[in-house]
Amino acid sequence: MKRFFQFVFDFLRAGFSGGVIFWGWMLLLAFFIMLWGYGEYVQLTNGMIVTGLNDQVSWGFYLANFVFMVGVAAAAVTVVFPAYVYKHKELHKIVVLGEMLAIAAVIMCLLFVTAHMGRPDRLWHIFPVIGIFNWPHAMLTWDVLVLTGYLALNIIGGFYYLYKKYTGKPVNKLFYLSIVYIAIVWALSIHTVTAFLINTMPARPMWFHSMMPIKFITTAFAAGPSLIIIVFLLVRKFTPMQIADEAFHLLSQIVVWCLGIALFLTLSEIVTELYPSTEHSLGLQYLMFGHHGLDALVPFFWTAMALMIGSFILLLIPRVRKNLLLLPFICLAVFVGIYIEKGMALMIPGVIPTPIGEFAEYFPTHIEFMIVGGVWAIGFFVLTVLIKGAVGVLLGDVRYKEQASHTVQGEQANAVAT
Amino acid sequence: MSKQNNKQNNKNSPAEDVTRRDFLRKAGTYSAASLTGAAMLLAPKPARATKNVTWAEHFQKNYRLMTDEEKKEAIDRLVKRYSEEFGKKVSVDDAPAMDGVLFGYALNIQKCIGCRRCVKACVAENNQSRGDKQQIEWIRVMRLEKGKFSEGDRDDGGYPQDFGIQVGGNAYKPAGVVLEGQHYYEADKVPEKDAFYLPMQCMQCEKPPCVKVCPVRTTYRDPDGIVVIDYNWCIGCRMCIGACPYWARRFNWGEPDLPAADMNPDTHYLGNRPRMKGVVEKCTFCIQRTRKGRWTGCVEVCPVGARKLGNLLDPESDVRKILATKKVFRLRADLNTYPKFFYFMD
Amino acid sequence: MISYRILAPVMSLCMLTAASTTTVFGETDEESKECFESRKDLTQVQQREIEPGVTNIKCSPTTGGVLFWSDPFDGTIPMGDMPVEADYSHEEAVVKPREPQIDRNKLLTICSMACHNGEYVPWPENKLARPLTMHQDIVPDAMQLKHGKQAIWCLDCHHAATRTKLIDNYGNEISFNQPQILCGKCHGQVYRSWRDGIHGKRIGMWNKGGKKRWWVCTECHNPHDVQQGERNSGFAQLDPEPAPILPKGMINANHERGHGEDH
Repeated sequence: MKRFFQFVFDFLRAGFSGGVIFWGWMLLLAFFIMLWGYGEYVQLTNGMIVTGLNDQVSWGFYLANFVFMVGVAAAAVTVVFPAYVYKHKELHKIVVLGEMLAIAAVIMCLLFVTAHMGRPDRLWHIFPVIGIFNWPHAMLTWDVLVLTGYLALNIIGGFYYLYKKYTGKPVNKLFYLSIVYIAIVWALSIHTVTAFLINTMPARPMWFHSMMPIKFITTAFAAGPSLIIIVFLLVRKFTPMQIADEAFHLLSQIVVWCLGIALFLTLSEIVTELYPSTEHSLGLQYLMFGHHGLDALVPFFWTAMALMIGSFILLLIPRVRKNLLLLPFICLAVFVGIYIEKGMALMIPGVIPTPIGEFAEYFPTHIEFMIVGGVWAIGFFVLTVLIKGAVGVLLGDVRYKEQASHTVQGEQANAVAT
Repeated sequence: MSKQNNKQNNKNSPAEDVTRRDFLRKAGTYSAASLTGAAMLLAPKPARATKNVTWAEHFQKNYRLMTDEEKKEAIDRLVKRYSEEFGKKVSVDDAPAMDGVLFGYALNIQKCIGCRRCVKACVAENNQSRGDKQQIEWIRVMRLEKGKFSEGDRDDGGYPQDFGIQVGGNAYKPAGVVLEGQHYYEADKVPEKDAFYLPMQCMQCEKPPCVKVCPVRTTYRDPDGIVVIDYNWCIGCRMCIGACPYWARRFNWGEPDLPAADMNPDTHYLGNRPRMKGVVEKCTFCIQRTRKGRWTGCVEVCPVGARKLGNLLDPESDVRKILATKKVFRLRADLNTYPKFFYFMD
Repeated sequence: MISYRILAPVMSLCMLTAASTTTVFGETDEESKECFESRKDLTQVQQREIEPGVTNIKCSPTTGGVLFWSDPFDGTIPMGDMPVEADYSHEEAVVKPREPQIDRNKLLTICSMACHNGEYVPWPENKLARPLTMHQDIVPDAMQLKHGKQAIWCLDCHHAATRTKLIDNYGNEISFNQPQILCGKCHGQVYRSWRDGIHGKRIGMWNKGGKKRWWVCTECHNPHDVQQGERNSGFAQLDPEPAPILPKGMINANHERGHGEDH
């Protein structure tokens, strides 16, 4: 037990150590986290009236970010899957970093959901035993299950591996690998269920199609690895951790193919909806072209399209794809493009028009921006700490020593012996 | 005014003082603000409706799972709190569904003149939030325009001529009736010549999608067919708002604005009792009235008698007679929600 | 002809009385609020306090329409001998008397006592339609009767001698409080529908056996202008209640007014 506490302590110490850039970065994040605290305070005291939401558009910026982040969380599987199923050596070395990313992303998801709730003080109503958990009827309870399960799997899997590495003990393969394989399937489930959450509502025709889960997964597997590439490049730049080019090449291939499929699915959706142009396509029409002067989303949609198509074409060129100086910028474009397309450009036109045909535009307020920005800051904060700690453990800098003095003596003894 | 009186009373009569202290000790006054910690002490003036919410109320069970005693306690708490807050004697009913009753509603779409009086009557009866900041109306009347028959309405040029051999470029634009309804129509007088009107509210579906998606089962269908909400159990996730195909549910985005003078003191726990911020509400067929045998506010107010409510299990009820003799339809029947709200015409 | 000359002073007296009563009843108390139920000006209710803080009705502040009846049976009388053949016949059915509404200035009562009592003004020998020669101002819509497409006229419905009554096919008097007996003579289908509770309006208790206040024909329809102009809806036009407040983020609702143009 003492060993475990020592691990937590050493891990956090490694996570919170760094130079000027590190502390500058953390301070910047802390600033945004403070804004988050203020935003949450205002929203809790006044109610959700401080947001731009209303009865017509009752799901907005928070859920858009939630859906996107579920995808990012699920995308950790793009590192885990090749590492374990295809025994990809380079990815295998860094698989824990993917798991750390998943942990940070799920934490963000939970914070976004809490921000979306009108009565977060009643969250306990959903807990089984003390509350009522409407399972299996309510899709939201499935989402709660898969998300918390995924968080648990990643914490257990990732930290079990790190802990073993830290103590220098061998990993129990049966235990560890079963966690890994369950997590791989589970990752798909979190995004599938999140898609089911919104596509099982015929009241919202823009979401009501069976293409939703696969579209979610492909966009997630394009945006997620894009972020992972950026994070890994930063890790390679700022830490002594070695990550081979090969790992980036595989990830960028995943990005390009998943992006291609995602674009294909978007195209299919547009043709299917706009060719007959029924009333059910009004949401998509509003998104793409606006509606009698209401066109807040139009520039966002076309920006997202330009970013996605442009980066897809660029990534198709092997020379560009393998250029690790250019790659992070393309990845950023993919990430931003999908963030728009799958965030606001999916959530908002899904609820506009209302089921009885009313059009109302939605503009997030500064409180919403504070909270969303703050949750992102929390995510990056957690991610930074987790990755720094994990890299420390992986590199062997952070490892268990029976007792500081003892180890020193041992080292001296070693030195003497040599 | 009444609050000042209360204070004076407390000072003057020791008996009341004792009960008040007792009350404080037992329950501890609780404000939603205290939840978020000491910083909340700086909160701007606490909103009225949650000011006196007690811990006991906050931690009460879901209404459906309460025993009779617990229900009584919960209701006594509410009666006390509401009466203090609104300065009048408020009653909170807990009448259960009557045996052998299944409520059905029929609306004569041919008669509706679009005067929106049902909308306002509903607000007066059901204690919704009103005012400029947050207006909640459970009924929405849509105006559907007829027309576009003249030569001038021909679709000359533009899309069909360029592309459509079949269309031929001379199609009449929305011939007959336009597709989209107008929600914010303003007219000097109704009914207007070239329009008809379609009121919508909760359809009290037999297979309500909103109930299915509720993660905490705070909304459910009672045996008399009314879909109700335990406002004290709602977590405000708004899944039900997303799932409702009739856009019947509303959310209390902020603290409801309900002037004490306009408050209707005859309330039901599952119906028109004052709500708090952050919870969903909707039409309950005026459960506080209908479970006592009285017609709903909208049925009574309709100046043209277009609205009918009755017992679907009673063949002699007006709604059953309408179903038997008139042409009826339900909105979005393709979704298999089985609404108990029928539209008919003569 | 001779008798007419003799009657002239009597008639002028009659008119005077009418005029004076008009002014007397025209003065309304500023404090009390008057609202209408269904037909504006012909279904008026006075707002008053029935218990401390509770009024008999709540009215719309914008249109003056009644929104809410604290007591749905306030001011009602038994419906009487309406031949209710439905199974609901055992229910207690009440109506609000129409006479005070129609005869708010007591013109009808006074005139029919003073002049039209069957003695001074002779009623026509036959029922051939002819234009009204007098009192065009006090009988609204009399000159443009829009009912029955010229096939009926005043005395098909109004009692020729007893002007405070309506009349049935056998010459029996019908009270203004029970116009359904008269209207049902021609509009049998609507009458049956009304009797079943499908047509028209009732308030009170929905349940079987519960007391109900029935709205009678003239509470919603104007018998002298049943078509109501071009709309042909059967109802006079009313002021609508205000539109809902626009959702946050919206400045106007112009987008829904231009619909159908750019699709």
